Amino acid sequence: MGANKILRIARREYVSTAMTKGFIIGAFIVPLIIMAIIPVIIWLTMRAKGPAVEGEVAIIDRSGVVASAIAENLTPESIARRQAEDVLRAQEKISEEFAVPAQSTDQKALVETTTNLALGSAPNLRVVTLDSADDPEAEKAPILEAAKRRVADGDQTTRVALIVVSPDAVHRDDAAPGNPFGGYELFVRTKLDDRVIDAIRYAASEAIREARYASSGLNRAELDALWKVEQHTREVTEQGERASSEAVTQMLPLGFMILMMISVMVGGQYLLTTTIEEKSSRVIEVLLSAVSPMQLMAGKIFGQMCVGLTLLVVYSGLGIFGLISAARADLVEPRAVVLLLIFFLLAYLMIASLLAAVGSAVNELREAQSLQTPVMMLIMLPYMLWLPISRDPNSGLALVLSFVPPAGPFVMMMRVASTDPPPALQILLCIAVNAIGAYACLWAAAKIFRVGLLMHGKAPNYKTLLTWIRMA
Amino acid sequence: MGDAIVLENVRKTFGDKVAVEGMDLRVPQGSLYGFIGPNGAGKTTTIRMIMSIIFPDAGRLSVLGKASAVESKDRIGYLPEERGVYRKMKVGAFLRHMAALKGVSGPAAGGKVRDWLERVALGEVERKKCEELSKGMQQKVQFVASIIHEPELVILDEPFSGLDPVNRRLMRDLFLEQHKRGATVIFSTHQMHQAEELCDHIVMIHRGRKVLDDTLDAIRSQSDSRIVAVRLARGGVDPGPLSAIAGVRHTGGAGLELEVSLSPEADAPRVIAEVAQRVPVESIALRRPNLEDIFVEIATDAGDASVREALAGVGAGEIEGEA
Repeated sequence: MGANKILRIARREYVSTAMTKGFIIGAFIVPLIIMAIIPVIIWLTMRAKGPAVEGEVAIIDRSGVVASAIAENLTPESIARRQAEDVLRAQEKISEEFAVPAQSTDQKALVETTTNLALGSAPNLRVVTLDSADDPEAEKAPILEAAKRRVADGDQTTRVALIVVSPDAVHRDDAAPGNPFGGYELFVRTKLDDRVIDAIRYAASEAIREARYASSGLNRAELDALWKVEQHTREVTEQGERASSEAVTQMLPLGFMILMMISVMVGGQYLLTTTIEEKSSRVIEVLLSAVSPMQLMAGKIFGQMCVGLTLLVVYSGLGIFGLISAARADLVEPRAVVLLLIFFLLAYLMIASLLAAVGSAVNELREAQSLQTPVMMLIMLPYMLWLPISRDPNSGLALVLSFVPPAGPFVMMMRVASTDPPPALQILLCIAVNAIGAYACLWAAAKIFRVGLLMHGKAPNYKTLLTWIRMA
Repeated sequence: MGDAIVLENVRKTFGDKVAVEGMDLRVPQGSLYGFIGPNGAGKTTTIRMIMSIIFPDAGRLSVLGKASAVESKDRIGYLPEERGVYRKMKVGAFLRHMAALKGVSGPAAGGKVRDWLERVALGEVERKKCEELSKGMQQKVQFVASIIHEPELVILDEPFSGLDPVNRRLMRDLFLEQHKRGATVIFSTHQMHQAEELCDHIVMIHRGRKVLDDTLDAIRSQSDSRIVAVRLARGGVDPGPLSAIAGVRHTGGAGLELEVSLSPEADAPRVIAEVAQRVPVESIALRRPNLEDIFVEIATDAGDASVREALAGVGAGEIEGEA
């Protein structure tokens, strides 16, 4: 009889929460839209980098040999080509890491297309080579003046940068090996686009480097060949060898924990709001004419648990699907998935019962804020300590926190999903300790719930809640 | 027939405030009981204890033969004073939910919900959201929710508050019908005349204690007090001197209406004559006391002068909620 009523309450709770437009849009459609938008945004940023910066770059070349090379490197075409090469290099790294099949297109053609794309937004700089004897101080003045005049980009006579190359940048006075070369100084307008500064720096450094190679009689291509060491890190798995998955391995514990956190928080928050709603709309006593407060609380907690589980299953399903399509499914052990469910359950019971108690004690959502803040802090703790715990999953900090409800399940989840999972005994102990924690939370919440439901008026503080626990 | 409800020496306190004390009560099965008393007297607290929504600090309690109403909630219909609906839920869905919680589910429940909505003249709102209903309509929905499972015991806490005269009459007919069906019906009200009109048995609660527990007829016959009802010809008259007349227990009333209650041994015609001499009178009559008068009398005997103020104005208009 009692179980029937609990299921009824749970069903209403689930239907009125998860089967609403708001929930479906918030939980599924918005993430889908975001996922769909991200590639578009990346494409847009690659394609249009805002209005191309125009301006004048002055060079005082005291070494006397690099000015023309710098100018050559600063043409829009060279800048665009370099940007395109950077993008392709990054893409290559990603596709290697996540085993996305590399495009078989001709690499050269690809560089060509991407360059053309980048060309539209590349800075259009007019390079002026000044006399090497000119005074740098005097030549900085136009930069300051341009900034003062607030001349919009687009005027090629606006000086945005001054490069002063030192005399010994290419030829050293004392040519003993190991002696340092001189370099260059770069003066730029304030608030100059960082990509422009980057392009100028690259142009100057490359030009000087080229000149040094030439003057030392070294072969650039040969040096590059000497410099580059080809390496491939392969993971040896039962399915064969493949590129290593460091990034995935690093993110996995965080992913597991965030998944748990989202599911627990969504269920818990809905529980809080529906409880407050039942109280403020005075439907509560009508319900209590049919069910006992304990049946009501049990039904509500169970119903919202199903809401949390829905999210957990859908999101983790998507995650696992993603790993399968990246041929990385073996990184998630079945044991971790089972433990995910167990830890979710424990964490949810603790958080949900505390939030149900808070919801039953207050009259409106606003009053709940101050009471629920400490509960939120407890949940945020493992999130804030993500880095130290995932770096060193068996440290003293991680060990202790595993046994502190309600942070324990989150911490243990990260440790289980990490590269160095804890021994089974610790996992079992964590489950036991947190199960006791969950029981204690439910027990205290039940007492507060029973008293709080019919209390209207002044919002209680923690002291009042303690009195209620002793009273009921 | 046994007793539907038994309370023995029940006591309940909230902090240092005593809400109910020394409450003994027997409600036989099939009877129609009215709980009356001013706001804050302890009616709702008593009802909540009967419903096992709150628990007594001391004393014994039995409902439908069980020690707690929790075990027999499906046999009890309860319309609380603090009542509401799920605002976003459709009326039909809300009633089916409530019916299911009380053990009425399946296809039969849907038919019952429709029938009942028709009967309270709300047939067309089944698919509307509860928040779209007026307060009076919501109250009828809540009443349907409380009796849809045909309970043996129906407890209605202030069932008439917030209703217009037409709906008040409808509500009255509906719960009298529950009584005819054989259910034990208890309702509370702070409006004495409603109890007087409906109940065969009255329980009067004042300051957490039961002060009266009898049939209406017995109460009336036991009460030997009579009242001289006076309508003054003009305002601004001091009724003070009237208390000095032999046989007058006390005077009361407000505005142009004065009430002079007589002691048992008073000579009524003589008092009427004397009253007419001392104050300008438009009309004057002797009448039997009503429940309100009896309550004032009892409370006054208990040395409580505040009762009259507590009751002043209660008879005329609606006062919502317990203080």
